[in-house]
Amino acid sequence: MGDLGINLPGLITQIISFVILFVILSKVLYKPLVAKLDQRAEKITAGLEAAEKAKEEAARSEEAIQAQLQEARSEGQKLVTQARETADRFREEEMAKVKEELDAERSRAESNIQRERDAAIEELRKEFANLAITAAEKVVKTSLDEEGHRALIEGVLNEERSRNN
Amino acid sequence: MSKILGNPRSIAISIICVAVLVISIFGGALGNTLGFGFFASSLPAIQLPAEKIVDGFNTPVGKWDLMNTMVTTWLAMLVLIVVSLIIRRNLKDVPGRLQALFEVVMEFFLSLCEQIAGKEKARRFFPLVFTIFIFIVAANWMGVLPGFGTVGRIAGPEEIAHHHDAHDYHDPALVTTTHESKESKAKHHGSDEAQEDGHDSHLGTVKLHVFRDYKTIPVAALSPGSLEEELTFSEYDEKNGNVGEGKRAGHLVPFLRSANTDLNMSLAIALIAMVMVHFWGFSILGFFGHAGKFISFKSGPIGFFVGILELISELGRIISFTFRLFGNIFAGEVLLMAMAFLLPLIGIIPFLGLELFVGLIQAFVFAMLTLVFASMASISHNDGDHH
Repeated sequence: MGDLGINLPGLITQIISFVILFVILSKVLYKPLVAKLDQRAEKITAGLEAAEKAKEEAARSEEAIQAQLQEARSEGQKLVTQARETADRFREEEMAKVKEELDAERSRAESNIQRERDAAIEELRKEFANLAITAAEKVVKTSLDEEGHRALIEGVLNEERSRNN
Repeated sequence: MSKILGNPRSIAISIICVAVLVISIFGGALGNTLGFGFFASSLPAIQLPAEKIVDGFNTPVGKWDLMNTMVTTWLAMLVLIVVSLIIRRNLKDVPGRLQALFEVVMEFFLSLCEQIAGKEKARRFFPLVFTIFIFIVAANWMGVLPGFGTVGRIAGPEEIAHHHDAHDYHDPALVTTTHESKESKAKHHGSDEAQEDGHDSHLGTVKLHVFRDYKTIPVAALSPGSLEEELTFSEYDEKNGNVGEGKRAGHLVPFLRSANTDLNMSLAIALIAMVMVHFWGFSILGFFGHAGKFISFKSGPIGFFVGILELISELGRIISFTFRLFGNIFAGEVLLMAMAFLLPLIGIIPFLGLELFVGLIQAFVFAMLTLVFASMASISHNDGDHH
């Protein structure tokens, strides 16, 4: 043993040294550091759990939002169709009103035109009668009764007009 | 290529490299065989036991001396304790680099303990396993630092002779001071011719090295160019101990020697590890549960014999623990010394890396085996039979 360098005092010294190191490191290094590691592991676990919870929460609120959105969308759809219907109805009403007005206007114009035409025709007839009388007077050179002639021509024209109509 | 050659800095670097290479190859012990060897130092005296630095005191169990391996053990302890105090002072939730390093290594060992020994036992085994690991790593890596094994005090011829069991050898350099003692010495030589011859054969192969004697500073180092200055004990006696002006003969006793190159250290760790392993065995399985593995009468003579074998294998574990660590680290030291001797300056560079690796692996192996033995000891044999 001596040749190998093993001796009791040396061995005991090294054993004591190692035990001292063991005790000091256990107190100074392992305890606080392992505690720190555990604490961190706990923190991470808690964090992960919280994250999981938050994720679930988010999923749930997402669902709720989706449902609300759906509702709002259908509501909007309804409103739009309603508005469209109202607009259609309004337009039809307006159209009808305008059409009516236009019809009235047109009939009024037509009657006006009729009246104008009648008046013009009357005027023309009168003029024509006068012209005819004057011409006849000139041709016949007779002093026929002006009133008798006029009645005659009037009768011819009336006949003509009724035939035209 | 021309760019590299044109740069004065690279020219200087290449010249230095070539010079180092030339010094290394021709200046070392290899070059000595070719007739050069101007840079070589003597191969230091290699011995298994640790060297004594200071004489100690007597204790009931033997003489306690301060050994160089004790100093390095305490240095390694000091480093570890200081580092842990620093870590402890700056303990943070978000770790700094030092804390992170230790956390990573500790996490690694904690998870290893949990894998091998199970969750509840892991916390029990971890402190010892981890202490073994970091202490051995610290001690082994320190042993690679410069100054280990190369700086120390000089042990004179008398001390060396005592070491080789030649207890009545007297250093002529010390005895020649008085004429009378010189005569008595001569007489002694004459009368005990046969015995003297016996001592010579004891000391015949032992070489003394010559060191510069710094009288005031008790420090010496293996210096380059000292390869020639070796002499045997008989040559030393012929010169009457006079090896030259301002020089002394003897062996270098390094102040620092890697802690695990001392069997006391590796045996101490092995004993602590095995004692703790069996302590855990007893405390987890109960006294009879654990002792029953080694001394059992239940399963007849074969079972009894197997128990005895188990007991022997436990002893074998202590021995293999001790010598595995010691052998690896001691061999590494010798390898580094031999390479520094053969190819000074560059020879040891690759082996430094190798020694760092070996030091780490040995520490890991020691810690792992402790862990495995502990978890084996804490499992009942009967459990295995029932399942």
